[in-house]
Amino acid sequence: MEVNMTYATQDIWTWWLAIYLYFGGLGAATLAVTFLTDMYLKPSRDLVIWGAGAGVVLLALGSLMLFGHLLDKVAVLTILNPMAMFNQSTAWIAWGTQFIIWMMVWGVLYALPYVRETEFPKKVPVIKDLIDRPFVIGISKLVNRFHRQVGWLAVVNGVGVAVYTGLLLQSFPAVALWHNPAVPLLFTVSAFSTAMAFLLLLMYTLLHEQADESIRVLYERIDLVLIAGELVVLFSLYMYLKNGSESAVRSLELLWNDYGWMVGFIGFGLIVPFFLELKGVMKGWSTRVPIITASVLVLAGGYMLRHYFMYAGVYAYPW
Amino acid sequence: MPHFAMVIDLNTCVGCNACMAACAMENQSPVWDVQKWRTYVHDKEIGLGSDVNRRFFPRLCNHCDNPPCMSVCPTGATQKKENGIVFVDQDLCMGCRACAMACPYHARVPVTHADMRKGREFYGSDYHRTSPSMDKCSFCDHRVEEGRKPACVETCVGSARMFGDLDDPEDPVAQMVASGAARPLMPHIGTRPNVYYIDDIRWRS
Ligand code: SF4
Ligand code: SF4
Repeated sequence: MEVNMTYATQDIWTWWLAIYLYFGGLGAATLAVTFLTDMYLKPSRDLVIWGAGAGVVLLALGSLMLFGHLLDKVAVLTILNPMAMFNQSTAWIAWGTQFIIWMMVWGVLYALPYVRETEFPKKVPVIKDLIDRPFVIGISKLVNRFHRQVGWLAVVNGVGVAVYTGLLLQSFPAVALWHNPAVPLLFTVSAFSTAMAFLLLLMYTLLHEQADESIRVLYERIDLVLIAGELVVLFSLYMYLKNGSESAVRSLELLWNDYGWMVGFIGFGLIVPFFLELKGVMKGWSTRVPIITASVLVLAGGYMLRHYFMYAGVYAYPW
Repeated sequence: MPHFAMVIDLNTCVGCNACMAACAMENQSPVWDVQKWRTYVHDKEIGLGSDVNRRFFPRLCNHCDNPPCMSVCPTGATQKKENGIVFVDQDLCMGCRACAMACPYHARVPVTHADMRKGREFYGSDYHRTSPSMDKCSFCDHRVEEGRKPACVETCVGSARMFGDLDDPEDPVAQMVASGAARPLMPHIGTRPNVYYIDDIRWRS
């Protein structure tokens, strides 16, 4: 019956979905890392504001990508209802949407007391009026009182978003490249690695003066471990695909024969930054250029991973 | 409660595409785009040199008992009836296309606002679609509820498409499935399909 198989990639979810997954993972992981740093390492006002800001802006942009491609935009209201998560408990988009919404809500609340302390918002007309409203001051006091609880609510939802981006792809059983346990792991590790890269980039550029050296070094070390982890997951994925079904083998051929994947993502997106950061951790660099370079490469690699993943999923049709 | 299934005999399908046309008219499909028809008959040449045969392969939604399109659907638009029919509630569907990504049988098709505009022109005041959605075969549940067969089955000139109840041991469809003569597509994926095929032996002899 299945002697005349046709193998095909898809054009349903393409680059725009890759952006959704990329911004989702990057924004959520950045928020989670900065909040954890603030709660357990050192209070870091600037990092929290940037983390919450990146979380909200990137997730909003990513969600717009998906929203813009919906056939019926009004029907999206169904999944904005938190009950959707329980009514459709096997549908990751239902979970992911709630994670995104609540991560934004708790993220903004957690950053609120810090925002009220900073000068810049006081110069922005609408925000200036808003943050001085009595109810906002009240909420801000409440957040200060339940600082860690609010922080953890944002972090849990943020981690949920990062993991969700991989679980979503994993839920498509016909495509071997996606339907395996390495995918949520790969996307989560990559999300946190790109978040580290984003924060390092910030700390070596815009926040250079205020950045704490010990936190910067810690982030570099964590990123090094995450990149190494990502390479290990990729290696296991390679081995799985190599001896897998025809769908798996064809995906492997598409990816590993592509210079964009091999040289662009694995070479410049993972291996080069790994060695640049390794030298930084072991011997240090005399300038910030190598770590800035490594961060930019990791960030570009993060998108490439998702982009190539979307295009390389192979369906096997028995006709 | 019946458990509906379809058996398609690849030996008797002559590739006339009458099923496609009947389905499109019955369900007001976007006929202007063949990629958006609920059922499709693939036409393939098999063999070498002068020994070449054409093989026709009708495909449609398999009304899976473990439908991945339903488990990934965040709005609950894709649902399964007790009689086995998987259908889409078009008013609930937001058109995220996750179902199309999850379906191993390429059975989901988008019907957009633009298609609806054309649909109103083409089908006139009879046009019944109220919102865009990821469409699919419904085994013509509106006909089945009236005790009729799906449009594609009724129109099939070679009687290649047969429709029946798997829970009725006297039903020829149930018997063909029970005997193993009719087999599902890609059962290893775990979707538990309810469309079965009788393999064509012509080109192998
Ligand atoms: S064939 Fe595809 S669309 Fe039909 S029930 Fe199975 S998974 Fe869903
Ligand atoms: S396109 Fe519609 S039917 Fe398909 S998964 Fe999305 S909401 Fe469900």
